[in-house]
Amino acid sequence: MSLRERSPGGAVEAGEDAAAAALLAEPDGPDRCLSLLPWDRFSAWLHCVCVVGFDLELGQAVEVIYPPHSKLTDKEKTNICYLSFPDSNSGCLGDTQFCFRFRRSPGRKVSLCCVLDQLDRDLPVYLKKDPAYYYGYVYFRQVRDKSLKRGYFQKSLVLISKLPYVHVFRTILKQIAPEYFEKSEAFLEAVCSDVDHWPPPIPGKILHLPIMGIIMKLRIPTYRDKPGTTPIVQNMHQADAQISVALPTVHEVDLFRCFCPVFFHIQMLWELVLLGEPLVVMAPSPSESSETVLALISCISPLKYCSDFRPYFTIHDSEFKEYTTRTQAPPSVILGVTNPFFAKTLQHWPHIIRIGDIKLPGEVPKQVKVKKLKNLKTLDSKPGVYTSYKPYLNKDEEIVKQLQKGVQQKRPTEAQSVILRRYFLELTESFIIPLERYVASLMPLQKCISPWKSPPQLRQFSQDDFMKTLEKAGPQLTSGLKGDWIGLYRHFLKSPNFDGWFRSRQKEMTQKLEALHLEALCNENLVFWSQKHTEVETVDLVLKLKNKLLQADREQLPVKTDTLKKLQTHINDIILALPDDLQDILLKTGTT
Amino acid sequence: MALRELKVCLLGDTGVGKSSIVWRFVEDSFDPNINPTIGASFMTKTVQYQNELHKFLIWDTAGQERFRALAPMYYRGSAAAIIVYDITKEETFSTLKNWVKELRQHGPPNIVVAIAGNKCDLNDVREVMEKDAKDYADSIHAVFVETSAKNAININELFIEISRRIPSTDTNPPSSGKGFKLRRQPSVTKRSCC
Repeated sequence: MSLRERSPGGAVEAGEDAAAAALLAEPDGPDRCLSLLPWDRFSAWLHCVCVVGFDLELGQAVEVIYPPHSKLTDKEKTNICYLSFPDSNSGCLGDTQFCFRFRRSPGRKVSLCCVLDQLDRDLPVYLKKDPAYYYGYVYFRQVRDKSLKRGYFQKSLVLISKLPYVHVFRTILKQIAPEYFEKSEAFLEAVCSDVDHWPPPIPGKILHLPIMGIIMKLRIPTYRDKPGTTPIVQNMHQADAQISVALPTVHEVDLFRCFCPVFFHIQMLWELVLLGEPLVVMAPSPSESSETVLALISCISPLKYCSDFRPYFTIHDSEFKEYTTRTQAPPSVILGVTNPFFAKTLQHWPHIIRIGDIKLPGEVPKQVKVKKLKNLKTLDSKPGVYTSYKPYLNKDEEIVKQLQKGVQQKRPTEAQSVILRRYFLELTESFIIPLERYVASLMPLQKCISPWKSPPQLRQFSQDDFMKTLEKAGPQLTSGLKGDWIGLYRHFLKSPNFDGWFRSRQKEMTQKLEALHLEALCNENLVFWSQKHTEVETVDLVLKLKNKLLQADREQLPVKTDTLKKLQTHINDIILALPDDLQDILLKTGTT
Repeated sequence: MALRELKVCLLGDTGVGKSSIVWRFVEDSFDPNINPTIGASFMTKTVQYQNELHKFLIWDTAGQERFRALAPMYYRGSAAAIIVYDITKEETFSTLKNWVKELRQHGPPNIVVAIAGNKCDLNDVREVMEKDAKDYADSIHAVFVETSAKNAININELFIEISRRIPSTDTNPPSSGKGFKLRRQPSVTKRSCC
């Protein structure tokens, strides 16, 4: 296979913003590293492609894995088999698309991780990869075929990837799967070869991805994007789908369509997701269950949903026992299921969403009450939210009215989704801003940073102190919603989502402190200092500085490249002032 | 200046030099040991033609038989197809005629067909006469050139001729509401060959 760049400047083009231009200008950017070996580019996007079929004797079986050298453990294969097919007789005649998520078997070497980590760094938190999980994107076809013994053709084409870009993979499958089912095995080879020539999934750039005769144009968001604004990828003037498709998003689902069946409870669902409450979605088919679960976890964006979530979960899943046990309280997870068996297995769960077929907009259900859990007996139960949860916040009637009006005026679902997404975003931001503000105040003052001492520590998070700030600088500044905000915060501080959020803030701030410390060091006259100290102390300083440089590189500390260069110069100057024999030793130690 | 994206596919028997032609056009280089293409490879090049920029989206398909069934995905929506044969191999010219038939039956209605007789540097071992090929091309109103990717003969000319043949307004349904500029002179139709 040819390793040469096929499309210099063709397949990757700079986005509008300066950040993207800067990335492109970086000569040693990840783009270059990734062109090293065949399949490296492929693995940046996909782990593998599987074909899952139904064997009369064996049941579901992975028929093909491509590329052939891809590794999947037996457990992973079993999970993929069951998760790639509808779990029960849920009909699904024709073509169905859905997605699932499963745990990776531990102890696998992760190749390429450093390069991909760099790409990961620029992503918004909610799109960062979770190395413990894979996503499976499924295109399932079930059609009557009298020539087959079973009477039906049943097959799934499945893309396995670490990336949560549901809309991208959905679009790819829609493009390739129908052709695949009619064509030969060489088809998969061609698809994988296409993917292996893609530019890496760099956030913030307009990417042009050629696949089986069309070009997909898309842009992966970065953490620098203002939340709620997505720079739309513009299609060229010809809107010809046979030449190219421009994707408006890489990861978003049609929020309004998903929430339509439980329209009146969206705000309560937001609270339940925010608090990481155990939640199960019982749906008639995997596509509805997976879309609804993804819609739920995305409603607290830009916060990352930190617990496990399974857009589609079956009784054969390797975590079935772990998640359904009655000996412990239900875990903080969101599950999407279709098998009626779960109505019994998960009877003890505190919050259950039952959805019927997702209806076309225009059929928004009438005002409905939250249903009592004891009324949920079987999957025949009526659609709705079954819970005894009492929301902390008062209901926002405005959004309900606004969306209802939209339905009456036949506003397109895309527009309804935008309104709904904005509503969730404002709610989440109103909630999180006081926390951001308080946590920022835990940062030590600039004057506490001394080049000759270790960087100062962050101050401890104190729940009481934080609660005190709410009176003056609480969510009331940005949200008109009344209710028990304090109670909501108290509950949230105990949740996995707070834990995950706080950890990432802590990490960022600690790195910032390290970076400031490094800059303080650079601004000292280090050579002068070393002249006034003993040789042992000078050697110690050199080793410490070298370590700092290594750390800055390893942890990608937010320092300017100038600072690093300056520090390197300092180190060299100090070493040059030392006796020759020491110079040799010091120049050899470390990486520099 | 208006930028137009033009999908172009290359078809033809295995080993006739489809990838080499694309490589010469895009990169202006030649590699005698180029690997067989898997599925199709994709490259782009933008050239100016009169007062338009033509961005060629070039799908260079695999000549191997096992990828034969994939071809429709590549010529679907194409503004032009370049069918390549090897002037030193008679049978590649027969394959070419089959491609023309297939495009007639299943290809886009207004597709510009260009025929490239490649490896014209190997005149001593020629099996297909230039005149025969030219007559055939004329009979189906196709562009015709003999090319050498190796010696960079007629490669750019091939694409210029394609630009010339592409109708000046979109053949594809244009996105609605787009105003367009003053009418250009209709492009010079059918200048037989270079």
